[in-house]
Amino acid sequence: MPATEPVPWDTDEFVAPVGVPLVDLLDRLLATGVVVSGDLVIAIAEVPLIRLSLHALLSSVNKKVPAPWADGGPL
Amino acid sequence: MTAPVESGTGRTTVPPTATYVFAICRRPDKDVVSALPGLVDGSPVRMLAFGALAAVVQDVPTEDFCAEAWQRRLNDPTDLERCARAHHQVVCAVGAVGPTLPLALATLYHDDERARRRLTADTARFEAALGHVEGRVEWGVKVYAPHTSAEPTAAQSTTAPGPGSGRAYLAGVRRQRDVRRQLYDEGLRAAEQVDSAMRELAVEGRRLRCHGEEPTATGGRRTQVLNAAYLVEDPLRREVASTVESLRRRTGMEIEVSGPWIPYSFAGAGGGDARD
Repeated sequence: MPATEPVPWDTDEFVAPVGVPLVDLLDRLLATGVVVSGDLVIAIAEVPLIRLSLHALLSSVNKKVPAPWADGGPL
Repeated sequence: MTAPVESGTGRTTVPPTATYVFAICRRPDKDVVSALPGLVDGSPVRMLAFGALAAVVQDVPTEDFCAEAWQRRLNDPTDLERCARAHHQVVCAVGAVGPTLPLALATLYHDDERARRRLTADTARFEAALGHVEGRVEWGVKVYAPHTSAEPTAAQSTTAPGPGSGRAYLAGVRRQRDVRRQLYDEGLRAAEQVDSAMRELAVEGRRLRCHGEEPTATGGRRTQVLNAAYLVEDPLRREVASTVESLRRRTGMEIEVSGPWIPYSFAGAGGGDARD
């Protein structure tokens, strides 16, 4: 199978590349990260109802469509 | 929902702002983050020191960041994306200058004092986790099983059923289903192969939840059979690329790599997979 090269961002530093796929970002921001006892921590991955709507959201994120993020986005 | 705060006088009030925490780090220069917009206009991203560590925080309007607001945000992809990328931008800026533990999206405290007190209680855990991720980066690896075989199969080469050939049609459907199941099983085996090869290179690996079926760029469909994150020594970037390339050749599967990430998936130091 031809390797579609979904390139690791080719930078030496963590500079929040514009093209970070949202789906991968949400995988990390919602399901992981340090869990601490906040006054409010949205433990999204642990709530079934929210997981459902999140699943729908993730399915609807089409990585081929550029993020609506041309201006005001990260570096 | 923001729980009312017990004030000293016994009355309860909801403060207008809350302390949003992006990450924990070892006291970098505040200039690293002060120029970043963070989540909201009008309040700076700043360092909140606790012991030898610091939390990277911002004051945010309570009403825009309470539980109900986050519930709404989950159904508003544009706003969710804005917050996710703003959070990520801060995490990346801090991560660029030293080991960093990103917090999950939407970690909030009523005020600095509460944040400092609660975070201080976890200092030992943070120190251990910072030591664990220092000098290491996270790589995301995803493997996809195709729904149709690259070579024509019996199921695909079957000519279109003519009128009245219901039985032939059903047989074709069944064959297609069998092919897909076979490809999926092969995909699962490849996923294990990829996972174990990556774990040899990595300090630690973690399986994330698979996203299931999705469309491909060419109009077909594919099923994610591996969604994993690996914590790898920073200098081994080239080895990550070459390992993935050789896995592509060996398994014939579509393998996607992303990274280097700040070690989001290993910041908890708690281990365990996030699949269930």
